[in-house]
Amino acid sequence: MVIWAILSGIEGNLAAYEAVLADIKRQRQPVEELYILGDIIAATPASANVIQRIRSPRDHEPEPQVCRGWWEEQLLILHGSGRTGEPTELIEYYGAEQVKALWDAIPRSTVNWIQSLDFGFFELDCLLIHGSTVSVSDELTPNTPPIQMLDRLMRMDANYLFCGRSGLTFQYEIQQGSITSSVTTLDHTAPPQATLVKPRQVIGVGNVGRIPGQATYTLYNPYANQVEFRTVRYGPRKGFQSI
Amino acid sequence: MKIAVISCIHGNYEALNEVLLDIDRHQVEQIYCLGDLVGYGPYPNAVVEMIRSLDIPTCQGCWDEDVVEGLNACECSYPSLLAEKRGRLAHEWTNQEIHPETRSFLAQLPLSLRDGNLCFVHGSPHSQHEYMLPDMHAFTAMERVLATGADTLFCGHTHIPYVRQLESGQLQVRVSSGQSSQRPNQQTSNFSAPLKRIVNAGSVGEPRHGRTNATYVLYDAETEQVTLREVEYDYQKTCAAIVEKGLPSIFAWRLARGLEFAERADDPTHVCER
Repeated sequence: MVIWAILSGIEGNLAAYEAVLADIKRQRQPVEELYILGDIIAATPASANVIQRIRSPRDHEPEPQVCRGWWEEQLLILHGSGRTGEPTELIEYYGAEQVKALWDAIPRSTVNWIQSLDFGFFELDCLLIHGSTVSVSDELTPNTPPIQMLDRLMRMDANYLFCGRSGLTFQYEIQQGSITSSVTTLDHTAPPQATLVKPRQVIGVGNVGRIPGQATYTLYNPYANQVEFRTVRYGPRKGFQSI
Repeated sequence: MKIAVISCIHGNYEALNEVLLDIDRHQVEQIYCLGDLVGYGPYPNAVVEMIRSLDIPTCQGCWDEDVVEGLNACECSYPSLLAEKRGRLAHEWTNQEIHPETRSFLAQLPLSLRDGNLCFVHGSPHSQHEYMLPDMHAFTAMERVLATGADTLFCGHTHIPYVRQLESGQLQVRVSSGQSSQRPNQQTSNFSAPLKRIVNAGSVGEPRHGRTNATYVLYDAETEQVTLREVEYDYQKTCAAIVEKGLPSIFAWRLARGLEFAERADDPTHVCER
């Protein structure tokens, strides 16, 4: 049985990443693939340690496959190689002071590696991406309108879209659908045609590092199409340990 | 109220003149233009001056944007490499030819226009470069209309006019949220979309429907009736000017046939991600 571990949003939190790796090791079925859907960094110097850890997996750990997230995109904008010229979103969400904080937090020596990250992965019938097929900033949630979800799936013709931008764990199944369309051109009118929608899903994979002491991620069996959300509690407050 | 929608004039002054005369004959109260005033054709300044002097509300096309911003779109802005190569030549020529006031006018054009339940864009509501072809997946097409909040979406960019009606759209979804340690919160819901329409205005100055005539559309807001119009004009005059002004002669060749084979290649739905 093949199992993928899919996570997103480490955000420079090495302890959270270690806790998730430990949970992955504990799985009865071994995890063969580890996908990290971006936001491995944030505006914190600890991000450098996370990058180092991701790039140097230990023996018997799966080699992480990492794609670009929102934070990586903001960093690349600062270094002049993002998709826009100005860090408008970074300033809007976190304030102007975070521009310098992010710039200072990430060593120059790792920027080329970040720049080399893929926008996403297409494996079997699954698209694995940080935001969506539109951009790293596109946030899909359980409340996203169905027509928008379907659009994001169909842009790459994926049956399953795994994303991490919202940080939420959710499974959004488009079970069925239909629409009728007719086209008139200068030369002819085509009769109305019904188009059916096959089942497809968008899966929010959770967030590893944002909430201290609690990481969420996703296990997926691509042959059985089984999704399992995992919650990992870590740190001194875990269980009955003393603080 | 009767309106006329024109698009993709591409510096073809002869065609624009003839289309405006045809519009005059139909007692139209308002004209809208979906951009691409320049590019390919020999008279970009004259076309812009005409649109500006008639105070025609116009949204910005991909060619208008590229002339203003510089040709910084990646190659997927064009539907094929061949189209890109020719497009670059036309861009360079146009860039040198246009007056500063033409560039300023193109720079201030909005990306979309609204008039009640009608919306006007060049390519799609998401991008000036997206081709909304008549065979685009019906749900994708529906999403584009819904994204505007309008009932009828007017677009251009493909140079081939059509009217597409989308109806009886429905989706059934089930959403589960929550974590493994908790009972997931599961909800099933149905989505239904009302009747929507996409009207492609074709092209005044660079038609690609297989004939040389300029195309545009008339819309009656009372009856919601759409009429696709074809207008004959002296295309040979424009072809001669293309050659005379040193533009690639391929543009005259395809204008004389109403076809562009390069646009049929590769993936026309692909959109540049700048």
